[in-house]
Order: sequence, then structure tokens, then C-alpha cells
Amino acid sequence: MRVETIIIGLALLISLAGCGAQQAEFVNRDEIDELIPEAQTHVRKVLDGAGIEGETGHFGKPTNMVLWERLPVHYHGAYGAFAETQIDEGADEVSTLNVSLLEQNLPVEPGQTLAWISGKYAGQASTAVAALNEAGNQIEIDPGLSVPPDAGDRFAIAPGAVISHGRKLYAEHCQHCHGVTGDGNGPTAKYLNPRPRDYRLGKFKFTSTGSSVKVTRNDLSQIVENGIPGTYMPSFKLLTEEENHAIVEYVRWLSMRGEIEFKLIQALRNDYSKEAVDSAVASARESDSKLSSSEARQNIVAEMDEYLTGDWVDEFNDDTKFLADQWKQAEDPSALVIPKVARVADTPESRARGRALYLSAKAKCATCHGDAGLGDGSQTLAVQKNPTTNTDYDVPGLFDDWGNPLKPRNLATGIYRGGRRPLDLYRRVHAGISGTPMPAFGTVLKDEEIWDIVNYVMHIPFESRDQRPGDGAGESVPASTEVATVAPDESTDIAN
Amino acid sequence: MKRFWCAFFMFWPIVAVILCWIAPGQNWWFPRGPSGTGAAMSPLGERIDDLFYMILMITSVTFVGTQVALGYVLFTGARRSDTSHDAEGAEKTWFTHGSHNLEVMWSIVPAAVLLFIALYQMEVWAEYRVKDKFPEEVRKGPQAEVTARQFEWRIRYPGLDENGNPLELMPDPQPTDLYTVNDLHLTSGEPVMIWLRSEDVQHSFFLPELRVKQDAVPGLVIPVWFEATKSTEYSLLCAELCGWGHYKMKARLVAEREEDRLVWLQELQAAQNDDGVPDAGDASDDE
Ligand code: HEC
Ligand code: HEC
Ligand SMILES: [Cu+2]
Repeated sequence: MRVETIIIGLALLISLAGCGAQQAEFVNRDEIDELIPEAQTHVRKVLDGAGIEGETGHFGKPTNMVLWERLPVHYHGAYGAFAETQIDEGADEVSTLNVSLLEQNLPVEPGQTLAWISGKYAGQASTAVAALNEAGNQIEIDPGLSVPPDAGDRFAIAPGAVISHGRKLYAEHCQHCHGVTGDGNGPTAKYLNPRPRDYRLGKFKFTSTGSSVKVTRNDLSQIVENGIPGTYMPSFKLLTEEENHAIVEYVRWLSMRGEIEFKLIQALRNDYSKEAVDSAVASARESDSKLSSSEARQNIVAEMDEYLTGDWVDEFNDDTKFLADQWKQAEDPSALVIPKVARVADTPESRARGRALYLSAKAKCATCHGDAGLGDGSQTLAVQKNPTTNTDYDVPGLFDDWGNPLKPRNLATGIYRGGRRPLDLYRRVHAGISGTPMPAFGTVLKDEEIWDIVNYVMHIPFESRDQRPGDGAGESVPASTEVATVAPDESTDIAN
Repeated sequence: MKRFWCAFFMFWPIVAVILCWIAPGQNWWFPRGPSGTGAAMSPLGERIDDLFYMILMITSVTFVGTQVALGYVLFTGARRSDTSHDAEGAEKTWFTHGSHNLEVMWSIVPAAVLLFIALYQMEVWAEYRVKDKFPEEVRKGPQAEVTARQFEWRIRYPGLDENGNPLELMPDPQPTDLYTVNDLHLTSGEPVMIWLRSEDVQHSFFLPELRVKQDAVPGLVIPVWFEATKSTEYSLLCAELCGWGHYKMKARLVAEREEDRLVWLQELQAAQNDDGVPDAGDASDDE
């Protein structure tokens, strides 16, 4: 009967609709496979406890995040510490507590939960917040407590509200390009050029900070709001400020996760890679022929365990602190690149000076960007050295720190990925573009010189083609003869 | 079973009519938008709506009529076949096939209706699309150039002169131009024009609340005009499946009084010329 067929078809369709939903999982860097299994387990245990019973690590899963307090990330609606609270004699309950709020990211509203992060209540079921006073230094909690917390005990209101909102939005808007782990490897990534950013190096290209300083929250939020013109990074202008903030915190968190992972693998890669262990086993057996290879291997693993419970703990703590400080430092106003001199008037003379500098050996813009600014300078034809491994790349041309081939910008298009304000271009030249071979010129060039260059660069798109040197009917004369200067020299500032 | 099929085929048209009837009340109709009722927010849009409702009336009447006729035919057919056709008093089947009169009727009537619609809408169409019929106000030039790109709207405004008045928008980018993305600010309460382009594939510039929809075609600069009656925010969408990120092409149109728009443009200009030195005339630092 036809009716039955229709009904069965519908039922099938409905049941099939549930298929294909998959849990988001973080993936590890490829380098982890080089390690011996015991070392891999350690990395996973510290990071996210993947595959290990009862372990969540310092980061957990995307769907079950661990909020590691030592990272400078805005996780919670609000976060603070209790201050000394006077308790009325005879009261059997305290419900009004003095606090000092260290962070407030969302409005504190009645009904939100308050969770204790440290002190005697840490880890216990949380209470509801009734109100925050206007001065922001007193909260009411409901139910009250019979014994007040100690001064200095830390707490979170609406724990994890910001970061989990960020995760949801990230999954909705960003994940298909930037990947669950932030590795720039989402399902759409392979169709894009340039590739979506891999956050795990902790490097961002278009920042307002000095050349080896991290990115600021404001930079990331501008990127999310305006996108990156000339690339597939879209603009998310219609997100609210709160949503934008939540996404930015999640991106920063992913970025820190990636950096910690890299550090973890790095710490074990020299001595406890499969290859290193094999050769250590071989040499141990050479010096002691009675040793079986499994004994030799056990000794090495025992050695590793000793290291991991000893020196490594301190190293890890230091690394984490260093990383947290780096991210905090970027938020400091002194980290911003601010010109000391106002923009030099955009006159033909200024542009001419800028043009001369552009071609000069001092700034050597032309060696990458070409005489006419078309992005075809001589360096694009030379074989470059990989700054991390110090070996030559297989093919000529520039690469970024993620290993993607990279062209110097064609300055005639008038599209500026990092923003088109004179200030943005000043910053690009002053601090370079981190993660790329574009060097920082802040120490080589004076402010006035940078402004002259900026004036010239901003004018390139408006030069008519026949005016454009090296690109018209006229003969082109190479301005620089340093065709094969392979390695970026000491003035290049490639942050590693 | 014959009766079942008759009822089955009558059931769906009735459901369709009921659903259409209650749709506006359930907010399944036009986006409510700033009007709160789903009414068009532009004068031309109102006339487009009138055309739409007129066509809806014609098609509704036709739909109900044909469905009633279908039901009648089904039920009489079912009744006739209850009795065997050579039995006593059996009804005869009525053959219409090859009826010249009927054929002529249902060719001429729909043709006349279509012709009527085609002629009746001409005026609105011409005003919307034919340059000579554009309102006087928009002939002085566009307020912005909107470039569709996978998957966003990039917008170029002419800059301001020393007195703070907008310059003319040139076909090619100028050093004085101002740029935004996904943020189109135009004057409300008067007809305004934009130039529409595409940087890559075909997109469609869609302002649902103003009933404006125009394809953006690579290689063409298409003038589009409209008038937002109310100063408020409208949505700007892409209405042409342009790639996997098509759903992302959402932007806003901010229609505001000319004075407010000028202030906004001045702020944009100040921000765009920012050199980061706080004392250099403009205090807009990015922090
Ligand atoms: C269509 C794919 C796509 C989507 C969706 C996308 N991005 Fe990107 N994103 C890119 C590409 C491509 C780049 C690299 C551009 C470049 O290298 O110049 C990038 C770069 C970035 C950067 C690096 C900026 C810098 O200064 O280095 C950040 C941060 C970023 N995206 C955040 C996000 C966030 C947050 C979202 C979601 C709200 C998102 N992206 C959605 C493609 C995408
Ligand atoms: C070693 C090669 C190299 C040198 C030298 C160099 N650049 Fe670049 N430049 C690049 C590369 C590569 C990019 C593209 C970076 C990216 O977006 O990934 C770039 C990008 C740019 C951009 C685009 C910024 C944006 O926001 O889109 C500008 C402007 C620029 N360079 C100007 C200069 C100037 C001015 C100089 C000289 C003072 C210079 N460059 C010297 C390699 C170089
Ligand atoms: Cu589109």
C-alpha cells in the first residue's frame, strides 16, 4: 500500500537524520607520534587526559573544559577573592560577604551560581548569588554559610560562562575553517589560500604590539569584527560585543593550549622519541652485553619517569608562568606600538623620500615587494632558509612560520589585511608581521622615515600604470642587486 | 478505498489554504522587521506588496476553484463507478476530451490574466529598474559602492571635503574613499542609490524589509535605488547561493537622517586617518 511506504520512508528519514553527529575532540600535533608511547601518555595526561581513565588534564575536552586558573583567560562571568568580612555576633549564618572582584566579564545577576575555586569550600557544590552591591565589593549569597570563607579565597560567579559561550560560537562560526583544536585544519581549510590561522603557535600576524609581543584582545576582536580583507577570513560584524569577547577568549585559550602542547612535546622529543630511545637502547646494550633490550628500555622509561616527577615539574611551571606573563604583557599599554611623531604630511616630497627608502638597502622593501610594489621582488626567487630548522626550503620563495608558501603583498591592490589606517601600516613596518618573513623596521628606521614609507606605500595603488616604475612601457632597472641574499639578515626580526 | 483517495486529495488543499490563512498571524509570513507588521518599509516596496497581494488573490481564487472542480470530478467519478456500467440506470461518463470550446476558454482566460499582470506591473518595474525612470534625487549619484565577495559585503563611501560634505563617488577607488565591511549607512526618508558589484561569483543584494533584491554580477556595476522610510537598522542578506559560506553573508543597513550619516562618515574618516598620535588633531586612539 502506498500510504505505508510513505510512512516507512518518513520514519527512515527521521531516524537517519540523527546519524553523523559527532563529538568534537581535540587532536594532538603530529609530532606526538614521534614519542615513545609512555611519553605520549604523559603529554595526554597533562593536556587533556584523552584515553586515560579519570584524567582530564589541564584543558579537558571541548565539551568538558577544564578551566586552568593559571592561564590569563576570562573564563567566568566574574572572578574574585573574598576580603575580610566582619561577622555579627550571634548570627548563625553569613550571607553578605566582602569581596574584591578581579575580573568582571558579565553582569552579575541574581540566580547565578558562585563556585569556590580555593580555600575550604573549593570543589564543593556552589551557592546562588543573590546580588552584587553597586560599589562591586559586596555580594549576597543564598543560602548563606555557617562558617565564612577565609580572606583571599577565590571564587567565580557564573563559572565558565564566558568560555563555554565562546566555544559554542566558535563551533558555529569558526570551527569549519580553524578546526576544533584551532589548528587551522577544519574541513573547509584545504580549499583556502591563505590557509586559516593555526593558533597553536601563539602567533598572530596583524597585531598592534611590538615585534616579539603577543597579540592583544583588542587586535583579535578587531579581526573578528572586520575580517581580513583579501582572504577568506570573514567579518563577523553582527556579533554583539559580548559574543565577540567570548569568542576571543576561546581563541586565546586554544592558542595557549597549543603552545603548552608544543612545549610538552618539545621537552620530551630529544631524549624520548622512538628514535632516540632505540639508539639509547642499542648503545646501552653495547656497553653491557648482558642487558636485554627490554631491560634497557625499562631503564630508560624509569629515567624518564624520574625526570617527569622531578625537574620537569619545575620546568613546566616556569614555562607556564612565562607563557601566562607573555599574554598578560600584551595587554599592557606599553606593549602597543604608538608612533612618537605624528604622520608626516602626505606630500609628493614625502612620497619621494619614501620611495627612495623603499628601494634603499636600509629598508630593502623592494627585495621582497618588487620595484613597483607588485610583490615580485628578487627574494621571491631565492631559496630561503627555514628559521626554525635552519635548513633550506625545497623550493624558492618565502614561507611563513606555519610552513605555508607566502607571497609578499602586491601593494598596488590597495588591500591591507591588517587594516588601512596609516597607524596600521606604521605598525606593520615598525613591528613587521610576526610569523612571516616581513621584518620589523622599528629599530632601523626613524619614525619620520617610516611615515614617508607609509605615505609612499599608501599612494602605490593610485599611481597609473605607466607612471609605475618597472611596470610600464619603460625599461625596468633592478634597484637592488642582492638577488640571492638567502637568509634574512640580523635586522630581520622573526620572532621564534 | 475510492472514497479514501477522494478525501485524501481534498485534504491537502484544505490544509494548504488553512496554513496560508493563519501564516501572517503566526509570523510565518514576511519578516516582521521594524514595521512590526511585516509591511514593506519603502514606498516602492509597498507597491510591490500590492502587486504581490493582487497576484496572490488571483492565484488563490484559481487554486480554490480548480481544487473544488477536482473534488467534484473525483466524487462524481467514484459515485458513477459504484454501479457496474451496463447495470440498470448506470450514469454515463461525460467525455470532455477534444472539446474545442473548453480548450479555447482555458487558453484565453489565463492568457488574458497574465497579460493583465504583465501590463499592470510594468510601471513599478520600470521605476525600479529603468534608469530614466529613477527618481530625481538619486540621479545626482550613488551614496556608496557595495561589493559582494565570498562571503561578505565590502562597502566604499566617497570621502568628505574640508567642509565635511561628501565628495562624489568615483568609479575607481580614490585616496579619500572610506571603507567598511558589512555595515551600509545610507540616508533615510529619501531615495538613495548604490552601485552594486561582485568581486568573484554571482551574489544577490537582498533587503527583505525594503523588498529590494538585485543580483550582483561579476564585471557589471549595477545601480540600485531604494528608499527606507524609517531611520533604523535593516538586514542585508545574500539571496543567491554563492558557495558554502553563503549563509554567512549577513550585513546591516543602517538608514539614518542625513545629518546623522554625515556625523558617522566624519567619525569613520577620523578613524581611518588615525595615525595613533593622540595630540595630532584627532583624539581617536584605537584603544
Ligand atoms: C572561511 C574560513 C574562515 C572562517 C569561517 C573564520 N576564519 Fe579566521 N581566518 C581565516 C583565514 C584564511 C585566515 C588567515 C588570513 C591570513 O593569513 O592573512 C584567518 C585568520 C584568523 C585569525 C588570525 C589573525 C592574525 O592577525 O593573525 C584569527 C584570530 C581568526 N582568523 C579568528 C577567527 C574567528 C574567531 C572566527 C570565527 C568567529 C574565524 N576566524 C572564522 C579563515 C576563516
Ligand atoms: C623579507 C621580505 C619582506 C621585506 C624585506 C618586506 N616585506 Fe612587506 N611583506 C612581506 C610579506 C611576506 C608580506 C605578507 C605577509 C602576510 O600577510 O602573510 C608583507 C606584507 C606587507 C604589507 C601588507 C600589510 C597588510 O596589512 O596587508 C605591507 C604594507 C608591507 N609588507 C610593506 C613593506 C615595506 C614598506 C617594507 C620595507 C620597509 C617591507 N614590506 C619589507 C615580506 C617583506
Ligand atoms: Cu553571496
